[in-house]
Amino acid sequence: MTRLLLDSVSFGYGQALVLDGISLQVGAGEGVALLGPNGAGKTTLTRLAMALQHPRGGQVVTVGRNTRRLRPEDLADVAGYLFQHPESQLFARTVRAEVGFGPAQLRWAGGRAAAAVDQVLSELGLASVADAHPYDLPGPTRRLVGLAAALVCGPPLLVLDEPTAGLDRASRTRVAEVLLARRAGGTAVLAVTHDLEFAAAALDRGLLLVGGQVARDIALGALLGHHPEFPAPPLVDLSRQLGFHGVRPTVAVLSSLLTSHPQTGTLEA
Amino acid sequence: MSALLMEGVTFTYPGAGAPALRDCSFSAANGEVTWLTGALGAGTSTALLVAAGLAPRHTGGERSGQVRALGTDPAEGAAGLGGRVALVLSSPGAQLSGIAETVAQEVAFAPANLGWPATRIHAAVSHALDRMGVAHLAPRGPATLSGGELQRVVIASMLVLEPDLWLLDEPTSALDTTGRSLLHALLRSEAARGAAVVIASEDADGLHPAADRVLVFRQGRPVVEGAPDEVLRGDAIWAAGAGSTTVAALGRASGVASPRPLTVSEGVRRWAR
Repeated sequence: MTRLLLDSVSFGYGQALVLDGISLQVGAGEGVALLGPNGAGKTTLTRLAMALQHPRGGQVVTVGRNTRRLRPEDLADVAGYLFQHPESQLFARTVRAEVGFGPAQLRWAGGRAAAAVDQVLSELGLASVADAHPYDLPGPTRRLVGLAAALVCGPPLLVLDEPTAGLDRASRTRVAEVLLARRAGGTAVLAVTHDLEFAAAALDRGLLLVGGQVARDIALGALLGHHPEFPAPPLVDLSRQLGFHGVRPTVAVLSSLLTSHPQTGTLEA
Repeated sequence: MSALLMEGVTFTYPGAGAPALRDCSFSAANGEVTWLTGALGAGTSTALLVAAGLAPRHTGGERSGQVRALGTDPAEGAAGLGGRVALVLSSPGAQLSGIAETVAQEVAFAPANLGWPATRIHAAVSHALDRMGVAHLAPRGPATLSGGELQRVVIASMLVLEPDLWLLDEPTSALDTTGRSLLHALLRSEAARGAAVVIASEDADGLHPAADRVLVFRQGRPVVEGAPDEVLRGDAIWAAGAGSTTVAALGRASGVASPRPLTVSEGVRRWAR
């Protein structure tokens, strides 16, 4: 089932086109990394998906809704968005209120809303800051709060702009695990990212934007390490060199392989 | 010579229950890249804001202890430091002048304010844009740039002044792979020119070859200090709540004792059948 469809989409802020005739689809459960050099139009594409911008030509259909006459709030029940700079999406006085805003707008009953907020805060390791003011938190923690707000209503589509920027390893791992779990439940994920380690851990498909067009639509495994701009991240490189094929290149998966295979040399002195 | 010196610095944000820096002491030398790392909230970003004088002048809050940036206490105002200290924040949009119509004007903004002659400004702006790989953006409006382009332009707008002290907070968060390697090479060449470079970053894979020294922060002060090649292999950096390279993390999760492998080739040697 298609969660996001772009059909011959063109868009520009001034005369020049930022996106020039882009067509793509993202299906239920898919994890797509939106890649490309700085200025390729990646963030613009996410804004079009969320009806924050509207195409000059072509159509954008987000979870079955043509965005032509929609405002961003018309997509609140079907698509969660993480801004590149989460500062622009946070406004409540506590983390709990911030994350609870979406369920309240959708008129969820109090008990259901509170349970959903608690659940997502604990998934992302934010339970201990639930009563803090978002602006008292370090920038990377604010990004996790923005992500929690995107996830809380369990939308069928997640559009995330740099979800792991500035996060430490533990948080990046947690974000990858949360997204994999959502994908297993059918959620489609489109993430702009420069973090190839995270992309390899949580996503499967790479869309490479260059000059406002889709230059490649390719399995991440076939892209990473086979293109000068996309070197294989350490765990991908290491798994290949150690002959681990078809495994998710995460610390958890690889360490279990390394410790359960005596012949891999972990027993050497 | 120390371009930056902190001695027993404690800093508390307004309304915060606990200080963000506690009895924090460290120095950063000219000609070196000093890398600050630590768990979220360990104080590295605050240390940079205090070094730049933005804390407490801009943030409010209480500071005690000695701070010297290029020989001056930065809390006493920017007098004498104009153009000599470069602060790069992780949200580049906050650092635009807001009045330049083009990228070239943006990068020329500070030199023009310092009264440089036009020919010197023109040459320096071209050179700085070129070094950050954004010469092609010169005629664009700053508001039309992507996050990563903006980050490069903001860095170019500081590079143009040839600062003596660089303070960078997670400067690679919006940069692509090319931009990251470009920045790391730039930091090395700025240090080689004699500048002191202080960078707060979680990117151990990128920084460990680029930095001369690493300071691991925990609860508002450095608790581990040394050459990245030694510190990253050991246990103390983990005990401080920070992280090492990806391969070292895998080694630790797999029960490999310190000193651990840091790079893929070291990992392959360790684990190859």
